[in-house]
Amino acid sequence: MEDEDYWNTSETKAKAFSFDDDVLSTQEILAIGQKSYSGQSEESIFSNVSITTVKSAAVPLSSLVSSKVLDLILLAQSGRDPSREAKQEPEETVAMTLKRLTLGRSCSLHVHRSMKSKTELLDGALAIGDGNAVLTVVLFLIQTLNKKLVYELLSSRPVALNHYIAFLHNEGKITELADLLTMLGRSPEAAMYQFQHAVKTQGSLDALLRKLSNLFANHFQQPGVDQHQAKMIADYIKLLEWQKHINKPDLKYRSVIEWLAYNCTQHWHEGAGNAMSPLTLCQRHQISPLQYDWVVLNVHAKAGKWDIVESLFTKKDWLGRTTVSSHIPIETLLARLSELQASKQLLATCVNKIAGNDDRLRLAHMYKIHSVVIETLAKQKDRAALTNYKMTLSPQSEEYILAENTLRDASIKWKN
Amino acid sequence: MDQPLSSKLSSLGLISQCKLKDILSSCGDKKDLIIDPTLIKPLERICGVNWLRQHGIDKIYKMEPQLGPTANTNRVYFIPACIQKYKCVLDQISSLLSQNPDLADKKCFHIIIVPKVLTTYDSVLESKGLYGVVKLHTFSWELMALDEQLLSLELPFLFKQLFVEQNHSLLSSISMSLWSLFHVTGKPNAIFSVGKLSSRVLDMLEIYNETYARDFLDKNHSKEIDALIVIDRNQDYASSLLTPATYSGLLSELFNINCGYLDLNVKDTKVKKGKLNFGIAEKSEPSKNTMMTLDSSIDTLYGEIKHRHFSEVLSVLSSKAKLLKNEDIKALGIQEIKHFVATKLQQVSLFKQNLVNHVLACETIISEMSNKFENLKLAETEMLNNRNKKSNFQFVDEIFGTDIHIYNSLRLMCLLSLTQSLTYDEFNTLVSKYLLAFGHKYLYIFNNLINAGLLVQPSSPKLSLNISNLGNLSDRLPKWQNEFQASANKLKQLPSQPDRVGKTPSYVFHGGYVPLVAVLCNALLTSDTLSEVLNKLSVLSDLRVGGTILDRLKDGMETLNEKLSNLKLQSDLEFGCKDVKSLAKVLKSDPNIGGCFPLKLKTVLLYVIGGVNYAEIAACDVIQTNTGSKIYVASDCISSGADLMAANT
Repeated sequence: MEDEDYWNTSETKAKAFSFDDDVLSTQEILAIGQKSYSGQSEESIFSNVSITTVKSAAVPLSSLVSSKVLDLILLAQSGRDPSREAKQEPEETVAMTLKRLTLGRSCSLHVHRSMKSKTELLDGALAIGDGNAVLTVVLFLIQTLNKKLVYELLSSRPVALNHYIAFLHNEGKITELADLLTMLGRSPEAAMYQFQHAVKTQGSLDALLRKLSNLFANHFQQPGVDQHQAKMIADYIKLLEWQKHINKPDLKYRSVIEWLAYNCTQHWHEGAGNAMSPLTLCQRHQISPLQYDWVVLNVHAKAGKWDIVESLFTKKDWLGRTTVSSHIPIETLLARLSELQASKQLLATCVNKIAGNDDRLRLAHMYKIHSVVIETLAKQKDRAALTNYKMTLSPQSEEYILAENTLRDASIKWKN
Repeated sequence: MDQPLSSKLSSLGLISQCKLKDILSSCGDKKDLIIDPTLIKPLERICGVNWLRQHGIDKIYKMEPQLGPTANTNRVYFIPACIQKYKCVLDQISSLLSQNPDLADKKCFHIIIVPKVLTTYDSVLESKGLYGVVKLHTFSWELMALDEQLLSLELPFLFKQLFVEQNHSLLSSISMSLWSLFHVTGKPNAIFSVGKLSSRVLDMLEIYNETYARDFLDKNHSKEIDALIVIDRNQDYASSLLTPATYSGLLSELFNINCGYLDLNVKDTKVKKGKLNFGIAEKSEPSKNTMMTLDSSIDTLYGEIKHRHFSEVLSVLSSKAKLLKNEDIKALGIQEIKHFVATKLQQVSLFKQNLVNHVLACETIISEMSNKFENLKLAETEMLNNRNKKSNFQFVDEIFGTDIHIYNSLRLMCLLSLTQSLTYDEFNTLVSKYLLAFGHKYLYIFNNLINAGLLVQPSSPKLSLNISNLGNLSDRLPKWQNEFQASANKLKQLPSQPDRVGKTPSYVFHGGYVPLVAVLCNALLTSDTLSEVLNKLSVLSDLRVGGTILDRLKDGMETLNEKLSNLKLQSDLEFGCKDVKSLAKVLKSDPNIGGCFPLKLKTVLLYVIGGVNYAEIAACDVIQTNTGSKIYVASDCISSGADLMAANT
């Protein structure tokens, strides 16, 4: 088995890769045989080349760094301190502690007991900018000072505060985090952190609903909280409540649009007022007509229900011609219809809606709607262009014949 | 040490190997490796399975919470520095111990953490009663040479930590990577930092330099790089938000790229996956796709087309295909055929395979992007130049209401917000539509985007009356109005004549924008004095200078200890670099202090903190060609705009 496959086929569930001595990698076989490559798929050459051990050998290690320098590099990685092992511990100054922290060496902060040295530690760590040192010092302050003093220090040092916030957040200590932010007068942020935590540790629908309702009542109604955010939370609760009520596993935690798509497939014919009707959902969640049209178009087209699409998006005008009517801007609609492989006829109807000849011609070209190209060129009386276009069509196809007939049409006064 | 720089850089993996060997040698003789899946590819770049086996690894398992018993008692876990993954490993060890308490004394548990063990990890270990039972090891692998002149640390989680959470715990890893790199290349004389994190990286780099200064370190070490620029990702978000027009840039829009390997999944691209699926959910088998190696030294064809404007790529590919056809083997004599088989067949068949893959990739790009590309680029360019705000908003609003994408649509919203700003109502219209489409649970994303500086919070009409918020608001609101264009114009980032062929770096965004990194490199490579460089870049507020160029200014020999004891309250350390403003006086009397400019070797290392993208790399390539220089690009990862958005979820 070759190296690459070891990684990629790695079976979990305690099934280990086996290193079978009898099987050589393709590379090894090549090295032994020193023959040109044969009988293997090209893909395997590919993945073998990707293992750069071959490339690395280009320069020997000794040409990169001397062995003394290498030892130094290893020392720096390990965080070992050669001087400390040999000598007695010297007196700890703030500067020395900070240096040890930055270098990743072990050190105890507990020698720093005065408020002055604690403050100096914090400011020094911030000046150096090593986040690891900053956080270590902050946590040390929390251990050894009362909360009020720590918060005073932190509130005037935003970088230190951010490190502590990130720490609490990552540790999942959300109540502490919320208390801290509230105390610092940043309750909107406290609310948002709690929200983020609640949705990320979802649990059951009931539990999430309970958490969100509490959050909404206690934190999102506070002064200073953004009105729109509060509304979004309220909408979310409304959505979850309804999902709970309907109790369909398929719909659990789904977004409104995903839900709308579901309703369009399963409950298309239910009228407004019915619980599962697409229209009811639109009203409840202020889905814009554009979004609604988009969902309906995609759902039905993907299911192959073009009759529904056509009945919704086309209508007859007073002259009896079919035209397109939708909230989706015409170019976007055309692009999407083409992606969904709509019929040429529907595409033609759609592109004909565009009033400007040049735009229409450009789009008809782009989506290869031949009938419209031919018609438009005829309208522009541009015989040369039409002749050229005819050449690009496959001979004796329907559109080829149309082009030919148009060119022969005696009623058109060609300009060239 | 007379090897060319590029082959040295591609061999940095050897140092990583030594670092890993050092750790594994302290983990017992025969052991199992339990690896987090995200680390498999990077490890593959450092060492193969055979190498691991030579260093005592018996079996390899993927890390997962339910992992049962393994072959050996000695377990070496290999995980990224992520507290959840770390705790998961500790829980697994605890449960093993509860079944078999004897294991506690056997020193059989090791956790290797990339890129470093944080102090809090020690406390967690202690609190779980595992101190002394489990040993933690820092593994700070070196920059990996993914492609010619492209280096990456492959730590894709750094952007989220550094910019979204504003947690700088792993920042020192970047300093560490530079510190070891300079042992190989020599220290550059001129060092620049753009952004707060960058200047801290330089400060910490200086701490490493001071601590590990040794007599045997040759002070006159050959220098192979003139200048280093370190820049924070948030100094130029626009380059991440814009849609790239280059081949490699578009590849990263559609396909997952990990460690320089592209997963050629033509059926389920990133664009498709990010959109709502209205059809019947097709349960497709996870197919094994072709992997493409995005490395020009392996795939020369990729090297030829990677930086091209996409419109040119297909014609290059077809001309290559014609060449292949001409090399028709039937026309050869027997001896020639033998020679061909012995020497060229393998190359040719590899070339053919590469050609097929690139054509497949191109087809996918065309079918998924060509419809929208022109309109999208037009809207983006209008935003950059602060024109037609109303129709730009309509364009974005329409996408949010129709063909919305979970990341790319957010990207457009961010770009509009940063370049032309959004009103309270516009902002909320987009938020509402996004939540309807993808679920209300994502409300927090917008706060994260604001924290990362990717979105500007619009002021609420009601809030602006609230006195307590006034200070905050005046800080944020008027400053942003057109600030983008003011600064971009001064740096000549907005070309009046669009270039799409590749003579100027703006072609990477279809002629609309020059990435800041290209402006920086160009300034360094075309200036005769330091003063000229700083003049060209004067609009950048967070620009700092360091390196031997300022040696003359060093106030005696101020060590870190002295610096720290003289520190004024809440000021910056300025240990590794100095604020440009403080140099104004010196520069007046000596505009070319340090004598580094013009750069002698014309070799620049650019390091982006928070992820560089392929468009920026291509833009630097143009500068390189125009100035006859070498620009090496390094970062913690190669990331697209969608990756930046994903970091906020």
